[in-house]
Amino acid sequence: MDVEDVLGDVVTMEDLKKFEKEYHNQLTTGTVSQETKFHYAWCLVRSNYPADIRKGLILLEQLIKHEASDDDAKRNYLYYLALGNSRIKEYSTALQFIKAFLHMQPENIQAQNLLATIQKKMESDAHKGMAVAGALALGLSAVVGIGFALSKSLKK
Amino acid sequence: MSSSQYSYIFKYIIVGDMGVGKSCLLHQFTEQKFTADCPHTIGVEFGTRIIEVSGKKIKLQIWDTAGQERFRAVTRSYYRGAAGALMVYDITRRSSYNHLSSWLSDTRNLTNPGTVIYLIGNKLDMESNRDVSYEEAKQFADENGLMFLEASAKTGEYVEDAFLKTAQIIYECIQDGRLDLNAADSGVQQKILQCETNPNVEKDKSCMQC
Repeated sequence: MDVEDVLGDVVTMEDLKKFEKEYHNQLTTGTVSQETKFHYAWCLVRSNYPADIRKGLILLEQLIKHEASDDDAKRNYLYYLALGNSRIKEYSTALQFIKAFLHMQPENIQAQNLLATIQKKMESDAHKGMAVAGALALGLSAVVGIGFALSKSLKK
Repeated sequence: MSSSQYSYIFKYIIVGDMGVGKSCLLHQFTEQKFTADCPHTIGVEFGTRIIEVSGKKIKLQIWDTAGQERFRAVTRSYYRGAAGALMVYDITRRSSYNHLSSWLSDTRNLTNPGTVIYLIGNKLDMESNRDVSYEEAKQFADENGLMFLEASAKTGEYVEDAFLKTAQIIYECIQDGRLDLNAADSGVQQKILQCETNPNVEKDKSCMQC
C-alpha cells in the first residue's frame, strides 16, 4: 500500500480484466470507441508487466495520432505516454512526452510533478547503474589479478 | 530515512464535481501553494504529507480524482481501500452541491462501512457569490452522518482542519477497535518502526495488513 509517487500506482487485475473485456467486446462487434480504448490503455500502463505497458503505449500512440479530438484529449494521452514509458524505464522517451505536454500547458502542476518524478528516477537509476558498473569493474580487476598471479606462479 | 519514520499510512481519496477545487485543496495541503485557474486533473493526482496525531506520525497518501466524466469509469477503482474520503462541492455553485448524493452513493458503495467521509464546501473566500448556505449543507451532512466544514483552498482557511480531523477520527477508530487493521482494504497500514521494535527487524518491514 505504501506508494512513493504516481509511478507506483498499480492497476488491480480485476480492473485490467474488466476494461480489457470491454475493449475486446467492442473490437469484435465493430468499432472501438475512443473512450473504451483510453480506459483500457490507462489500465495497461499501470500494470506490473512490461508487456502490458507496451501494449498500452501502442494504444495511446494510436489515440494521439488518429483520434485525439481536442487539445484536452491530446494532453491526457501525452500524460499517460510519459507515465507508461517511465514505468518501463524508457526515461528519455518519457521526457519527450511530458515536455511536449508542458509545451502546451507550462503551468500544469500535475505534469510538472510527473517531470520531477521522472528526473528523480533517472538520477537514482543512474546511481544504481554506476554502482553496478563499479562492482563489475571490481570483479573484473579481481579476475585479472588472479590471472596475473596464476601466470606468475606458472612461470615459476 | 524519512520514509520509515511514520507509524501508519492512511489512504485518502478526494471526490466531487469538476472545478470545485479538489486539486487546489490537495496542493494547498501538501505544498501550501495555490494556483488560480488550475487546469483539470488527468485521471488521478497523487500527493503525500506526514502529519502527527496524538504524538504518532502518520503518512497521508492522497489520491485526488479527476471530476471530468470521461475519467469516472476508471477513477472509481481508486475508492477501494480508502480510509478517508473528502467529498468536495463549491459553495458558489449549486449544481456541484446537487450532485453530492451521486458522489455519496459512489463513495458508500465503493469504500468500506468504516471509511470516514468528510464533506467540504470549498471557495469560502467567495462569500459574496455564495449559492449554498452553511445551514443547508450542514443539515445534509447530519442527515447522512458526514463530517462537515467549509474551507478555502485559495486562502488556506480550514484546509488543514479537513485533512487533520479526518485523520484524527480514523486514528480514534483504530484505537477503540472500530477499524479492523486486519480487514482487507481498511485503507490503513501499520509500520513497524526500527526504533520501537527489535533492532534486527528490517527497517521498512511493515505488517502488510492491507
